[in-house]
Amino acid sequence: MDSKRFASKQSGDAKVDSKRPVNKQYNPLPPSKRLQATFDGPPPPEMDEEDFDEDVFLEEILLRDEEVQDSGVEGIQTRLAKWRRPIPKRYHNAYDSIVFQQLEIDYIIEESNKDLLPDNRGPAAVLRIFGVTEEGNSVCCHVHGFQPYFYIMALDNMGPDDIPKLRQTLENRMRETSKNSKAPVCVTDIKMVQKRSIMYYQTQKSRNFFQIFVALPTMVAACRGILEKGINIDGIGQRCFLTYESNVLFALRFMIDCGIVGGNWIELPAKTWHDRIDKRRFSYCQIEADILYSKLISHPPVGRYSKMAPFRILSFDIECAGRKGHFPEPQHDPVIQIANLLTVQGEAKPMVRNVMTLKSCSPIVGADVMSFDSEKDVLLAWRDLVREVDPDVIIGYNICKFDLPYLIERAAALKLTEFPILGRIQRSRVRMRDASFNSRQYGQRDSKEVTIEGRVQFDLLQAVQRDYKLSSYSLNSVSAHFLGEQKEDVHHSIISDLQNGNPETRRRLAVYCLKDAYLPQRLLDKLMYVYNYVEMARVTGVPISFLLARGQSIKVLSQLLRKSRQRNLLVPNMKGQSGQDTFEGATVLEAKAGFYEKPIATLDFASLYPSIMMAYNLCYCTLVRAEDMKELQLAPDTYAKTPSGEIFVKPSQEKGILPEILEELLAARKVAKEDLKKATDPLEKAVLDGRQLALKVSANSVYGFTGATIGQLPCLEISSSVTSYGREMIEHTKRLVQERFNISNGYQYEAEVVYGDTDSVMVQFGAPTVEESMNLGREAADYISKTFTKPIKLEFEKVYYPYLLISKKRYAGLLWTKPEKHDKMDTKGIETVRRDNCLLVKNLVTECLHKILIDRDIPGAVQFVKNTISDLLMNRVDLSLLVITKGLTKVEGDYAVKAAHVELAERMRKRDSATAPGVGDRVPYVIIKAAKGAKAYEKSEDPIYVLENNIPIDPHYYLENQLSKPLLRIFDPIIKNASRELLHGAHTRAVSISTPSNSGLMKFAKKRLSCFGCRATLSEGDQTLCSHCKGREPELYQKTVSSVRELEQLFNSLWTQCQRCQGSLHQDVLCTSRDCPIFYRRKKAQKDLSEAEVQLERWEF
Amino acid sequence: MEDMDVDMLPRVQATYVSHNEKFELKKQKYKGQQYSQLYFFRLTFTRQYLNPRIKERWPSYIVTNILGLDEGKVCVVIGTLYKQMKLKPNILDEYSKERSVGGLVVPSNFTDAEDYLILEDESGRVKLVGDCISPAVYVTGVVVAVCGQPGKDGEFLVEEILEPGLAPQPPLPTRKKSESEKYVAFVSGLRCGGPETNPLQVQLLVDHLTGHLGEEQEQSLSAQVVRTIIAGDSVQLQAQALHGQPLSSKDQHKLIEPIKELDLVLTQLASAMPVDIMPGSKDPANFSLPQQPLHKCLFPGATAYSTFVSATNPHQFELDGVGFLGTSGQNIEDLDKYSLADDPVDYMERTLSWRHIAPTAPDTLGCYPFHDRDPFLIEPSCPHVYFCGNQDKFSTRLIRGPKGEMVRLVCIPRFAETGTAVLVSLSTLECHCVTLSTSLLEISSIEDIKPDIKP
Repeated sequence: MDSKRFASKQSGDAKVDSKRPVNKQYNPLPPSKRLQATFDGPPPPEMDEEDFDEDVFLEEILLRDEEVQDSGVEGIQTRLAKWRRPIPKRYHNAYDSIVFQQLEIDYIIEESNKDLLPDNRGPAAVLRIFGVTEEGNSVCCHVHGFQPYFYIMALDNMGPDDIPKLRQTLENRMRETSKNSKAPVCVTDIKMVQKRSIMYYQTQKSRNFFQIFVALPTMVAACRGILEKGINIDGIGQRCFLTYESNVLFALRFMIDCGIVGGNWIELPAKTWHDRIDKRRFSYCQIEADILYSKLISHPPVGRYSKMAPFRILSFDIECAGRKGHFPEPQHDPVIQIANLLTVQGEAKPMVRNVMTLKSCSPIVGADVMSFDSEKDVLLAWRDLVREVDPDVIIGYNICKFDLPYLIERAAALKLTEFPILGRIQRSRVRMRDASFNSRQYGQRDSKEVTIEGRVQFDLLQAVQRDYKLSSYSLNSVSAHFLGEQKEDVHHSIISDLQNGNPETRRRLAVYCLKDAYLPQRLLDKLMYVYNYVEMARVTGVPISFLLARGQSIKVLSQLLRKSRQRNLLVPNMKGQSGQDTFEGATVLEAKAGFYEKPIATLDFASLYPSIMMAYNLCYCTLVRAEDMKELQLAPDTYAKTPSGEIFVKPSQEKGILPEILEELLAARKVAKEDLKKATDPLEKAVLDGRQLALKVSANSVYGFTGATIGQLPCLEISSSVTSYGREMIEHTKRLVQERFNISNGYQYEAEVVYGDTDSVMVQFGAPTVEESMNLGREAADYISKTFTKPIKLEFEKVYYPYLLISKKRYAGLLWTKPEKHDKMDTKGIETVRRDNCLLVKNLVTECLHKILIDRDIPGAVQFVKNTISDLLMNRVDLSLLVITKGLTKVEGDYAVKAAHVELAERMRKRDSATAPGVGDRVPYVIIKAAKGAKAYEKSEDPIYVLENNIPIDPHYYLENQLSKPLLRIFDPIIKNASRELLHGAHTRAVSISTPSNSGLMKFAKKRLSCFGCRATLSEGDQTLCSHCKGREPELYQKTVSSVRELEQLFNSLWTQCQRCQGSLHQDVLCTSRDCPIFYRRKKAQKDLSEAEVQLERWEF
Repeated sequence: MEDMDVDMLPRVQATYVSHNEKFELKKQKYKGQQYSQLYFFRLTFTRQYLNPRIKERWPSYIVTNILGLDEGKVCVVIGTLYKQMKLKPNILDEYSKERSVGGLVVPSNFTDAEDYLILEDESGRVKLVGDCISPAVYVTGVVVAVCGQPGKDGEFLVEEILEPGLAPQPPLPTRKKSESEKYVAFVSGLRCGGPETNPLQVQLLVDHLTGHLGEEQEQSLSAQVVRTIIAGDSVQLQAQALHGQPLSSKDQHKLIEPIKELDLVLTQLASAMPVDIMPGSKDPANFSLPQQPLHKCLFPGATAYSTFVSATNPHQFELDGVGFLGTSGQNIEDLDKYSLADDPVDYMERTLSWRHIAPTAPDTLGCYPFHDRDPFLIEPSCPHVYFCGNQDKFSTRLIRGPKGEMVRLVCIPRFAETGTAVLVSLSTLECHCVTLSTSLLEISSIEDIKPDIKP
């Protein structure tokens, strides 16, 4: 067996050049849409710039024979055996075909297969397709004979006769650059083909191109470099060449040429494949075969091939015992538990629940507990589990950045060379490398990239971060958000204590660990990620693993390449450069701020940008360059000039590829939506819904692809034309509405456009009822739609009534889609979900909007604000509502300016390094009253510390920096002098500040009791009341006891809730989840209650 | 004992022993203890009662803990029940749910067909399935033994369920022939000072009990009442007056008046016979069970009499060797929210069999986080009279245990709504209710009003 194989996994090699400064350039949506979430369906994923796709090798590291000594932990294999896949049926080459759903495609370089390709010699790229059959058996298929290639355009004076010269010259140059290549020939073949570039409208139907085949995928880039820099060919001279399709990843190239899309079904017909007999097996898969690429059949994902194979999903979570005060580091801190959950796709219940623990652990009902005495055994047992269970997909929460790298680094620290064989290739070690990820949105993030051959990694954290905008991405708050349940959170400083306890405490930890493995699976189910991502892969044609690891542009490129191939077109390798011209974004009509008490109808353009591209045939291949205009001599009715001044020919001349892609996507979406309506089976519904969503997102990302200046094929002529049409349409709509719907045209009222944004226009038709407004809205939509080129269509969907318009992109209203009853309250831009706002703001704003819009009670809203402000000033607000959280992304010194949360983290570290937040943690804090002139960052304090020491908060900070802006935004359009009325009224006069119990002065103060009635200091003998108040005993006692009552009630409901959440009555609540809204309240109730009791006790004399 | 009657009908007396020490918190404090210890104690203690019963019932089966369950093997497990309820209100809803339009409608009962039971012991949890257990009957916090076998999915198929059963009971003392018949009067929900409370009705009750009403026959009956127990909700307070700012003198008045009125009632009663007052959910006492006695400073008048006892809730005592135990109703009211029964007496009967008067504490019923005891366990002995205040209507039942135990269950209705008090005989445990009505007041003179005594 050759010990040196090379492999490259496509998805792993993308972001190579991490040093390059990256700007966000690529956006699937118009720029104006990026700041808000006006998207129905999940918000658009933020585009992160991708570095370029190139095939680069990572050496496949195989263990030498002498390193392979162990066969895992004793006894484990037998326990794991029951989780194996079903035994496959026997496949006979002569009459069985192998049919499976592929999930992952990569390739390796090995000696060319002599049986299948007798004529070839030397190393060749062999593709491996991993997948699962309908029966649930794993398949590894080796595909031979597919060669990497790209194109160059032949010069006018070049013909077939020039091929040998070109080939020789190129071969020589290649030899120079890759001296140590083992390939006997680099440039294996050059063919002359008739093709056309996708760029610009041409009348000439085709011209000469050279298709250059090379031996190995990496040579594409090298060869391209040589040709682009220029080569000297005999008789032709020094020339530079523009290359075509030279930036297509090898696996994607293969998929495109064979018609394979991500996650579809592949068939190896009988007689074409060769079974791998035991000794020649490379993989742990149950079925392994070789085939020539030309023989395999790819089934489009329709009909019976639209289903999902029962693939296996492993969800796992690890626990590490960190040292006091440190976040666990693999060099020092052991892995103490690994919890696993195996689910077979399509089944409701997980098949296996298991936890592996270091040191003994009491059993857990419904889970298989495996305890080991050494950490080495824990790790090896997990490796055995992965191998036996043979998952197709590995999921978890933050596994890509934490769990997997930690396991691998920990194994390295323990010198367990045999651990990282987690992939499907025998003896092949998992590879890991550093990757750095830079974006304007998230800042720099360092991460590790782990390659596990044949298994798709799906990190729920990445997926949720990508698809949803949340205020916090902790597993706790994400599951609270989507699953509606709080998760117990055990602080990492407690984990070591639990581990060092007894089997019971370790069991406690194991239960927690199991839950952390279970939640990602539930999120996966709830968010239907399997369906949505497989559908997305099928629609766009990229492997599933690309979807998380890469941006949007690869998806559009994949479709563009597929479509071009059908039309005999070639996509040039024309990368944009940053700093190119920008173009004007979408239009926002001026917002006429105010509180509208008449219904406001909303006219929406359905899929505006895709429709524009279709209506005006905007594409690379329909764009006419200014310099070509004369030469082409186009008849005036065959082209159109866009509002931004570009010229595109009409479909009669040449149909655009992008419009065609869009038409297909939208037509497919229509079909999916219709099928969805008819579907009854919930699984089928899930698939169809996933599909229609994928189609919609894909359609929207086409526009962004053309506008990404550092993209694969930027074309600002297209994107600026799209937005210019968009602007024109909004203006046009506004004009038509106001011209037609007025009294002079016989309508009852005067219509007014109050606001318009990118693809919608808000109209006040003046009618007082929702129903009338709806009718007018529908009439207007039909009337105006007729004036547009198809398929651009204006739709009427909803009415806002009442409607509070604050400024552009900020509004709130009650949304009506039927005249009987409103659907919900809809807010844009004022939903203060921003993380750096405290809960008080959010609650207050929500309540105010509710009072204003639903109750129609403006005085009530004003009173509510006043009461809240008064409560704040009187120190009656629950502290948990005042907590502000910020993520600690780097250590103190790295911050240029002093920030409140960073300073606080430092102070907390000095107090107790064990519980202080570390980098990556979120730091919760409140703003406290400090000495005059103290800087804002000095006034932050840990909420727990504040509670324990009665430190007064700074109500004015909250009033001025947190409450005032959002409140004024809402109330300015509604009431006069909102600021004076709300923020400076009589209700702000009374201020109460508590006395801190830890201040210096208090140490010298002598405590004397004061009278419950009048607060007068009591004389020595009296306990409760002064002589003056004596007669008021019953009244004052009632007051004291009533405060105890309330606190007891609160204490009870809070602590029993925590018991329910942790799922145990007999064990103490350990949770320290600061994300949980009742965490501080629980603590505060306990403390307040013991204080109130002291007061009550004074009555017992 | 004072006897105010002119005809000098002597009031019958009985020896009174209070057993309320376990309900008194004394110097116990909220110092960070949690509820787990209370559950832990309850489980360990109840296990002692269950073990002998299990030996008797299933002598051949092994008793194991939840961890020791083996798939397919029949065994017995003791544990605390936890009822998973989807409708159970949750304090987190305050944060997550959007405010619904048109105000919140709080259902009076949170049970649902999808509820299921979970059994938990120190070692773990297991979901209980099987037809013989009805989730509607049980509530969180009850300790039981179940016999059955664990199934594949970590569920436990219950074949039979065993409750601790009635606690042992000392025999009911027999009355000597010569002795007079003795009654204990129970009343609850007086709601003095309430906007809909008729003060005259309360006064009628007082007059009746103190023997100021009726003819000799009635008076002699009154004289046989040895003690009056007021089981909670004696005043109706203006709760909102207690918030925030210092009170105006008008509000102060509002706050004091009901208490004064009650003190007057209590003073009259105490002057004639021993009176125990228990705090209830609406009284000026703490919220969590056990509620501590109402402070004596509230009752300057009644406190002067040695016959006046401010008791805890729950209240346990003995009269002439007859055991009494009862609450002001919170325990039964909570069971009515989280389980189902046709009659509140059924709830009471269940709690006796569970040997725990308030299993839902602390889960849904507020209680103090005890760490060294569970005062709500019915131990060491079963009372002869088990009462519960503030019910919608009067209801009673005599239950007899397998060993001759006999327990009188009494649901005391709210007096302010029904005008009904309850008399229980000490010797026979027979139970009567006394309903007083003032509805004829407009047309007849005071003398005409006679208490309507129903056997």
